[in-house]
Amino acid sequence: MLRIQNLRKVFPGGVVALNDVSLTVPDGQFLVIIGLSGSGKSTLLRCINRLVEPTSGQIWLDDVELTRLSPAQLREARKRIGMIFQQFNLVKRSSVLTNVLAGRLGSTSPFQSLIGQFPPQDYQRAYANLGRVGIPEKAAQRADTLSGGQQQRVAIARALMQEPSLMLADEPVASLDPATSHSVMKYLEEINQQDGITVLCNLHFLSLARRYATRVIALKAGEIVFDGLPTEIDETRFREIYGEDAVEVEIR
Amino acid sequence: MAQPDVVQTPGQAPSADRRNAGPTGYGKVGPAAFITSWRNFIFVIIALVALAYGWRVTQVDFVALVVNLPKSERIFTGLMQPDVVTRVVEATSIQAPVQVGGVAADQPSTASLPNGGTLTVSPSPVQPGAQLTIAVTEAQPNSDLTLLLVDGTNNARPIRRNEKTDASGSYTLAFPLPLSVSPGAYQVRADLSTPTGAWQPSETFLISLDKMIETIFLALMGTFFALLVSIPLSFLGARNLMGNSTAGWATYYAVRTLFNVLRSIETLILAVIMAVVVGLGPFAGVMAIVIHSIGAMGKLYSESIESIDPGPIEAITATGANRLQVVLFAVLPQVVPQFLSFTMYRWDINVRLSTVIGLVGGGGIGFILIQYINLLQWNQAATALWLIGIVVITMDYASAIIREKLV
Repeated sequence: MLRIQNLRKVFPGGVVALNDVSLTVPDGQFLVIIGLSGSGKSTLLRCINRLVEPTSGQIWLDDVELTRLSPAQLREARKRIGMIFQQFNLVKRSSVLTNVLAGRLGSTSPFQSLIGQFPPQDYQRAYANLGRVGIPEKAAQRADTLSGGQQQRVAIARALMQEPSLMLADEPVASLDPATSHSVMKYLEEINQQDGITVLCNLHFLSLARRYATRVIALKAGEIVFDGLPTEIDETRFREIYGEDAVEVEIR
Repeated sequence: MAQPDVVQTPGQAPSADRRNAGPTGYGKVGPAAFITSWRNFIFVIIALVALAYGWRVTQVDFVALVVNLPKSERIFTGLMQPDVVTRVVEATSIQAPVQVGGVAADQPSTASLPNGGTLTVSPSPVQPGAQLTIAVTEAQPNSDLTLLLVDGTNNARPIRRNEKTDASGSYTLAFPLPLSVSPGAYQVRADLSTPTGAWQPSETFLISLDKMIETIFLALMGTFFALLVSIPLSFLGARNLMGNSTAGWATYYAVRTLFNVLRSIETLILAVIMAVVVGLGPFAGVMAIVIHSIGAMGKLYSESIESIDPGPIEAITATGANRLQVVLFAVLPQVVPQFLSFTMYRWDINVRLSTVIGLVGGGGIGFILIQYINLLQWNQAATALWLIGIVVITMDYASAIIREKLV
């Protein structure tokens, strides 16, 4: 279970990205976070694994208070939290296999990674996870030779290598076309339902949220303005979240 | 050029200028309008004063340049005729005995050359003061010929130098034997040297080539040692890796300052210092290159680390990897091509630097170039200079191609 209490983030320069956000996410939820660009969605996800340091507030993952951990403890905690990104964030010049294996770095000794070695079972796991996202034949290719959708699947495979209990997905399909978006979202749905991994996913498109989320929260100017089931977002709610002039664009 | 809506002529009154000028002053045109602003006027005055002072302290004298230009003619003609090849010369020598004084029967003395031709000396014996005839026949045509008179103690006296056989290979000399030649048994020796028509690299060229190779490897070793030091340092001098703690910032500024200091010391000065420390020779040059290149390469490497895509760093950090693993898996793969490219480029620069480092005793081709120049051996200096030019251009071209392939 993920518990966020009174989370606040003020960036240098005074921009308040998150203002007193409290949230509890039970295990196994597929939580979609919606909101305009700049509403604080990305900051919220990055505060959880502390890629962004919160200004104040607490974040608990099960019985570990993430916000209090020392650097070494934080690395230990990060191993349980997978993350995928809008720009995939693969190392483009490295092979797909190397990118996937990088997901095991938290559990690899620094000396082994210095000589580029991983235990044999990690290789097996890497191939298995590539198989799971449907691209086992791409292992030897350079990452930047893959299409956007394939790169995001590699990123999912990399996150799965951590065997996480929580998956953070920051706009995972914002750089992809509609058809590819669905294929990537389906892999997230699959790991949520089959592996019981809690998923926190930022999305732009409400239609995707309606299709995949078990719960939706909406952020506006760093505050939660909606928390409920996807079906509860009607025209009025939509205008509250996105502003009076917004028109919903469907992605099917 | 921003064109004003109202075009002014330079002769107009300043008040009209000001009235038509827009708020940004673009209403004015031409040099006269430029000076109407006080700030610009002061700037022009300062610039003129600086130029005038510079003219005086650097003793600019274009008249001397033009008048004395012909003095450089020898240098330029020398430089246009590098000493690169010499003819292959086949040397032969032959001796014919001759008796000075005495009363033996007059019998011309002859000897045969190994490759055909004869040397004839007559008469023999010959009295001092009498006519002596030396003839070479059927030797190699157009050979250089030196005639010597060799006495019993193997003491050779030149008779004629730098003579030539004619087109049929013949040469004849008749001259009165000097009275100073005391009677006795002598040999007349003919030294013939014939160009075979083939060419061979000159000694200067071989020395220059040897030193040029030394220069290239001097630059290579300098670049290599600098690489070993500057690569680890460059990670400490990259803002995006170090800028998340106070200690990190302190390291960043310390490393960047070191790079700037090392980079700002001229290699020639370093070479002089190093020649004192490790002695004259190529190693002093290597060390000069190393010290300067650490600064120059470190700065370039750091900047290329700073320009990488931060996404993979974020992603690898999120997996729970430590700092070293992030560098190994997210940073290194992104910067290796640029590092290789910069290193190639630096080697190329260092070859150019190494050519001058020799001028102050740092080894390499500059070492012999300065000697040739000091001895006014312009043809030899030209050999070294042309070689430097060819190597530098070739390396520049090659490194450009390789760098293009890498990035």
